[in-house]
Amino acid sequence: MSASSGEGSRGASRTAIATFLAPALVVYAGFTLYPVLRTFYNSVHLFKERTQEFVGLRNFLDILTQDPVFWKAVGNTATFTIVGTIADVLGGLLLALCLFVGPPLSRPMRVIWFTPVLMSYVVVGIIWVWLYDYDWGLINVILRWLGLGAFEQSWLGDPRTALWAVLVTHLWKWLGFNMIVCLAALHALPGEVLGAAELDNCGWFAKLVYVIIPMLRPTLINLLVLSFIGKMMLFDLVWIMTGGGPLWSTETVSTYVYKRAFDWNTFDLGYPSAIAVLWSVMIVLFVAVMTRLLRSRDRLEF
Amino acid sequence: MMKTRAKWHLATVVLAVGLASAARAEEVTLTVWSHEADEAAKVALREQAAKNLEKSHPGVHVKITWYEKDGLNTALRTALPAGQGPDVFYVEPDQVEYITNGYIIPLDSLINWNNIYDWARQVWTHDGKTYALPEEAYTNELYYNRQLLAKLGAKLPDSAQFTQAEFLDIVKKARAADVTPIDQGVGDRPYPGAYIIGEALLRKLGLEDYGKLLNGKLSFEDPRVVEVFTWVKQLVDAGAYPKNFMTLKLGESHHYFYQKPGALMFPMGSFYTGRAFVPVEKGGQAPDFPIGIMQFPAMDKAACNECKTVAVGASFAINAASKHQDLAAAYLNELATPEMGKRWIETVYLQTAVKTGPTEFSGPYAGYFKELMERQKGAKYFTGMPVDILTGQCKDTFVQVMNKAFPGGLMSVDEAVKTMNQGCYKS
Repeated sequence: MSASSGEGSRGASRTAIATFLAPALVVYAGFTLYPVLRTFYNSVHLFKERTQEFVGLRNFLDILTQDPVFWKAVGNTATFTIVGTIADVLGGLLLALCLFVGPPLSRPMRVIWFTPVLMSYVVVGIIWVWLYDYDWGLINVILRWLGLGAFEQSWLGDPRTALWAVLVTHLWKWLGFNMIVCLAALHALPGEVLGAAELDNCGWFAKLVYVIIPMLRPTLINLLVLSFIGKMMLFDLVWIMTGGGPLWSTETVSTYVYKRAFDWNTFDLGYPSAIAVLWSVMIVLFVAVMTRLLRSRDRLEF
Repeated sequence: MMKTRAKWHLATVVLAVGLASAARAEEVTLTVWSHEADEAAKVALREQAAKNLEKSHPGVHVKITWYEKDGLNTALRTALPAGQGPDVFYVEPDQVEYITNGYIIPLDSLINWNNIYDWARQVWTHDGKTYALPEEAYTNELYYNRQLLAKLGAKLPDSAQFTQAEFLDIVKKARAADVTPIDQGVGDRPYPGAYIIGEALLRKLGLEDYGKLLNGKLSFEDPRVVEVFTWVKQLVDAGAYPKNFMTLKLGESHHYFYQKPGALMFPMGSFYTGRAFVPVEKGGQAPDFPIGIMQFPAMDKAACNECKTVAVGASFAINAASKHQDLAAAYLNELATPEMGKRWIETVYLQTAVKTGPTEFSGPYAGYFKELMERQKGAKYFTGMPVDILTGQCKDTFVQVMNKAFPGGLMSVDEAVKTMNQGCYKS
């Protein structure tokens, strides 16, 4: 039977292809495509008393011009994303380099650093809320023990420290993931290139900057983009640790969307949907710009 | 012969299948979604009401699904707009959106309201219609440790109410003695941090003006309001609250008060008993814990120092999309019998919206209940917690400012008043 009569080039009929694709397509359409389209639809409507009124771009205008909490949330998310992404990838790379040179206990260290990645945000959040507790939290206890009681803080209760405290927790959870990915990439580097650099009396720092990092560039860019997207959508950790407080100092766009949708005692999903749409567009734009800026023009082959 | 027997067998099978189908057709499953899965006494009561309904309505099966509050609310918010959800579900009075969006039906003609206190019914009455059956009631109380108060050399007046100056003095004395004066934590709730300031505002302003304040009709820059904020600021600056106020959770704050490290006072709804009156190994207070109840302090030049907040907690509503509304109402009526009300008090150790008639308290907590009832004498009640009344931006501002940042010492009086006005006052 020819391909034109319903058989693919590898011999499967269109019916068979459709049969295998259908379950995944149905799930995708029901749980991804429909919610996305529905969110766009909601964003231009006002829902009130079981009716919906088309309001055009009014929700978007209100968000951009009359909502100080939204802008506070944008500022917090941006800070978290920029600082967190750089620290995440840089930290992971440094840890991977440490392990790459094969220090003693490198295997247990790898397991220890990677373990937080396997824990859920809920568990991580609860553990760190305890660690940060003013009275009995380990951090303040250690500070007191070291005679540095003057530095003890209500880490999550002070607007000046709360966002950074959450960021440290996030780093603790994700450093291990970046470390493992970088370590795998390091082990995949061609030994002859590194060997050649050593034969040329290339110092370790020069080897890192001029040989290793350029060859790791695709991996690092992927990590940066993944980390960036993850942080732009940050919700669970903040929700568990601070709920966006104190005084909106840890409010992220995602926690704000949730509050507007579910905590404000309205069934109006229009406004929070508009925030979600706006934020999604911004994430896509940022990722596109970031990928373009970081993309290497010359493809490195090894 | 064989053919005839086979025919009879076939007829019997058909008849049996037919009867089974008919029986199935008559069987009805009433679905109930409830919060408070972790409160055994309340679970037992609601299960008992289900059994009572099943007994009086053969063929009816009541299926209760137990949730935690957040999970329940999320499930309802998805199910109700889609015309789905259970026949009956748990609601609290701040969830007026179910009414405004038409997701629950009026119960005026469906419930035997003679069994429910009028004030509690009023909480659920909107535009002349009553939308939910109130089950749980509570008052805001100021619990204290008698032993610690005596150690500080203070004596509770006969009225059980200190003046605002005396109260400030006690807070200072407690802090000087390295005792946490007021145990409170806002780590996981939107309201505990505002107990002191809320009750002080109620006493200072009186029922009417306090209601206006919460409804955006009175400015937070009103001098009386500013005076209250200033007094609370003095308490905060005197170290009234624990240092871990911001992260301490509700359950932990109970433990903090009656176990470790201990505190002089603990403002809390009278649902305090749900966590405290359980065995010590399950996180309850020791049987010999010297608990007392005092009135919240009397404010200077107050409009109503005998005022206090009463609120309705657990309530149940009927889904407007339910196909079994009469049965759903019958289940609610089973929850609201005087017998169930009495059983509530005796097993949950908490007030109820259900009329029970005279109740004889006995057992280890009889003294506690006597004192709780004593604190209600002569009280004028304001119905509803601020979080039950506020909505939208005002509620969010209340949670961030009056519940957290202001008692947490992060804001000045001016900043707090200004921020509250921006969020709530409809000038």
